[in-house]
Amino acid sequence: MMYKIDLVVIGGGPAGLMAANTAAEAGAEVLLLERDGHLGGQLVKQTHKFFGSEKQHASVRGIDISTMLGDRLDSFGDRATVWKNATAIGFYEDGVITVDHDGVYKKVKPKRVVVATGASEKFLSFPNNDLPGIYGAGAVQTMMNVYGIRPGHRVLMIGAGNIGLIVSYQLMQAGVSVAAIVEGLPKIGGYAVHAGKVRRAGVPILTSHTILRADGQESVERATIARIDRTWNAIPETERTIECDVICISVGLTPLAELLWQAGCEMRYIPALGGSVPLRNDCLETTVKGVYVAGDVTGIEEASAAMVEGHLAGLEAAASLGFKSDSYDAERKDCMEQLTALRSGPTAEKIRTGLACTACL
Amino acid sequence: MLINTGVPTREQIELRLPSPERRARGPYAMVECFQEIPCNPCSTSCPFDAILPMGDINEIPAIDLDRCTGCGICAGVCPGLAIFIIDESKGDGTASVTIPYEFRPLPEKGEMVRAVNREGDVIGDAVVTRVLLSKKTKTPLVTVRVADEHVHEVRFFNLIDNKTVCDKTSSKIEEEPKTDDTACATDDDEIILCRCEGITLRTIRDLIREGYTTVDEIKRISRAGMGPCQARTCGPLIASEIARMTGQPVAEIQPSAHRAPVKPMPIEFFLGGDSE
Ligand SMILES: Cc1cc2nc3c(=O)[nH]c(=O)nc-3n(C[C@H](O)[C@H](O)[C@H](O)COP(=O)(O)OP(=O)(O)OC[C@H]3O[C@@H](n4cnc5c(N)ncnc54)[C@H](O)[C@@H]3O)c2cc1C
Ligand code: SF4
Ligand code: SF4
Repeated sequence: MMYKIDLVVIGGGPAGLMAANTAAEAGAEVLLLERDGHLGGQLVKQTHKFFGSEKQHASVRGIDISTMLGDRLDSFGDRATVWKNATAIGFYEDGVITVDHDGVYKKVKPKRVVVATGASEKFLSFPNNDLPGIYGAGAVQTMMNVYGIRPGHRVLMIGAGNIGLIVSYQLMQAGVSVAAIVEGLPKIGGYAVHAGKVRRAGVPILTSHTILRADGQESVERATIARIDRTWNAIPETERTIECDVICISVGLTPLAELLWQAGCEMRYIPALGGSVPLRNDCLETTVKGVYVAGDVTGIEEASAAMVEGHLAGLEAAASLGFKSDSYDAERKDCMEQLTALRSGPTAEKIRTGLACTACL
Repeated sequence: MLINTGVPTREQIELRLPSPERRARGPYAMVECFQEIPCNPCSTSCPFDAILPMGDINEIPAIDLDRCTGCGICAGVCPGLAIFIIDESKGDGTASVTIPYEFRPLPEKGEMVRAVNREGDVIGDAVVTRVLLSKKTKTPLVTVRVADEHVHEVRFFNLIDNKTVCDKTSSKIEEEPKTDDTACATDDDEIILCRCEGITLRTIRDLIREGYTTVDEIKRISRAGMGPCQARTCGPLIASEIARMTGQPVAEIQPSAHRAPVKPMPIEFFLGGDSE
C-alpha cells in the first residue's frame, strides 16, 4: 500500500526533529523516518555542553537536547508519527519514497519532503589502514557514549577539528589515554577552548604532522607519524613511532546526500561545505519542487545551525501546504537572524564562502 | 600562538589580569576565552551582569570585575570550560583556583592532588578545599589551594595514586626521529581504499592508468563501492585519486551515480512489502 501524508521528514537528528516539530506545530501531518532505533542523530553521543546561545540550547548537553526535541514531538499525538529503524532507501522522481521499516518494505508518497540525513565520516588512505583498531571518530564516540564500550587503551587521534578534540576529551573521560592529536594543517581547526581542555589534561597536539602508516600483527600496535611541509610531503628524519592500540580518524564529514541525487536535485561540489550539496533557495527548497533540506546534508556545520535550518525548512514546507500560523513571519525572520549570527564570526568564514555558492533561483 | 598550540600566551593571560587592588579584594572570574566563536552562555548566565552582554554572539567575552563576585556560576555553565575562579585575597602565601572538572573519580575535600598547568605539566602540589556538584550543569567545580605564585598557572590537577586522568610521562611520545627508512615507503598494496570489498590503492591506480577515470567505471570493473557502505567511504577517496592522477579538479570528477536502494537489500525484501 502507498502511505499518503502531508510531510515526510527523513532523518531524526537535530535538523529533522526541528523540522517535524515545527511543521506539526503549524498543523501539518508529519511522518519522521529514522534509520536508527532512537532519535537524535549525532546529538545522542554528545555528552558535552553545547555552544551557541540559549535559543539553540547552548550549555545544554547534546543528548539532553535530543530528549527535549523528541518529547515535544510526542506531544502532537496523531499529527506526528515516528518510524524508528526506518531507512529511506529510495527517492524516486515521481516523489515516492521507499522505506525499509524494521525489515518491511513500505512506500510513502508525501506532498512535501524535508531531507535531513546528516553526514558521513571521511576516511584516510595510508598503509595498513584496514587493521582492526582503526576507526572513525564518530564510530568511537558511538561505541563509548551510546553502547558503553571502551575502544582500547591508548589512542592516536588524527585531526584537530572540533570533533577530534571533543572525542579525545571524551576518550579521556572514559579512562582511555590519548597519546597525541595529529593535525596536518599548521593550526588547530577546532575551537581554542576545546584544545585547551585536552592540552591541560596532558595531550600534545602536533600540528603540521600526518600519519604515515599503521603497524601491528593482528591489530594496531603502533603508528608512524611525521612532520609535513606545506605540500603535505613528509619531511625526512622527522618520523616517530607512537605506541597505540586505536587510531581514530577525524578528518571531516561529508554530506549524506544520496537521496537528493536520486530525487534529481541539482547538486554542486563545494569543498568548504564538505562535498556535494544541494542548491536551494532561501526557504531551503531544492531545485526539485517540494523537496526541502536542513542540517549537515546542506553542508557541514553544527547542531545549532542544523536546528535553525530544520525550523525554517519545517516552517516553509508546512506554509507551502497552507499551514501558515500567525507567527510565520516572526519565526521566519528569527530563523534568518539566528543563522546570520551563528555564521558571522571568523570561525565560520569557510561556511560563509561555501554558502555563497549554494544559492539557486 | 593559541591556534597552533591550544594554550593561550603569557601576554594574553596578563592582559586579562585584574588590577592588584581587585586581586587583593576577593574572588573573581578569569575568563580564558580568546577566540571569536558563536557562544555566549557566560554572559547570559551571570546574575550580576558582570560579563557584558554580547551584541554579536561571536564577540569575545568582556568582564566588569567590579561587578564580579566570583560566585562561579559562569564557570559551571561555560561549555569551553574556559572560566576559572581565582581567589588571591587570603594573604597567607596561598591562593585558590576553582576548576571545572569533568572527570571521575572526583577528589575529596582535603585530598592532596598534583597541580597541573595549561600545558599539562605538573608544577607542584595542591589541596582540594571544595568540591561543588551541580545538578543543573553537571559540571563539578573543584577548588584547590596552591602556592600564591602558582595561581595563574594551575588550571588542572591529577589525582595521586594512579587515579590520574592522563599521566603525561606515560604519554610522552618518542622524540627521537626514527631512521628506519622502510617506515616511510608507501606501498600501494598495503593501502585499502574500499574496505567493504578489499580493493587496494594499487588496483585503483592501475585502473586509472588504464583509462578508467570516473568513479562509476572503477566501481563497475573493480566492485569498489558496491559493499555495505555503498561508496560512502571510498567514493571520495577514489575521486581524489582520479583528480590527482589526471590533474582534473575534484569538483569535475563525476561522482558515482546514486540509485535506490541506498544500502544493499536482499531481493525478497522488495517482494514482501506491507499489505496493510
Ligand atoms: C563529535 C562531535 C561533536 C559535535 N559537537 C557539537 C557542538 O558542540 N555543538 C554543535 O552545535 N554541534 C556539534 N556537532 C555537530 C552536530 O552534531 C551536527 O552538526 C548535527 O548533528 C547535524 O544535525 P543533522 O540533523 O543535520 O544530522 P545528524 O545529527 O547526523 O542526523 C541525521 C539523522 O538522519 C538519519 N538518517 C540518515 N540517512 C537516513 C535514511 N536514509 N533514512 C532514515 N534516516 C536516515 C541518521 O540516522 C541520523 O539520525 C558535533 C558533531 C560531532 C560528530
Ligand atoms: S563569577 Fe559570578 S559574578 Fe563573576 S562573572 Fe561569573 S557569574 Fe558573574
Ligand atoms: S561561555 Fe565560555 S566558551 Fe562560551 S564565550 Fe563564554 S567563556 Fe567563551
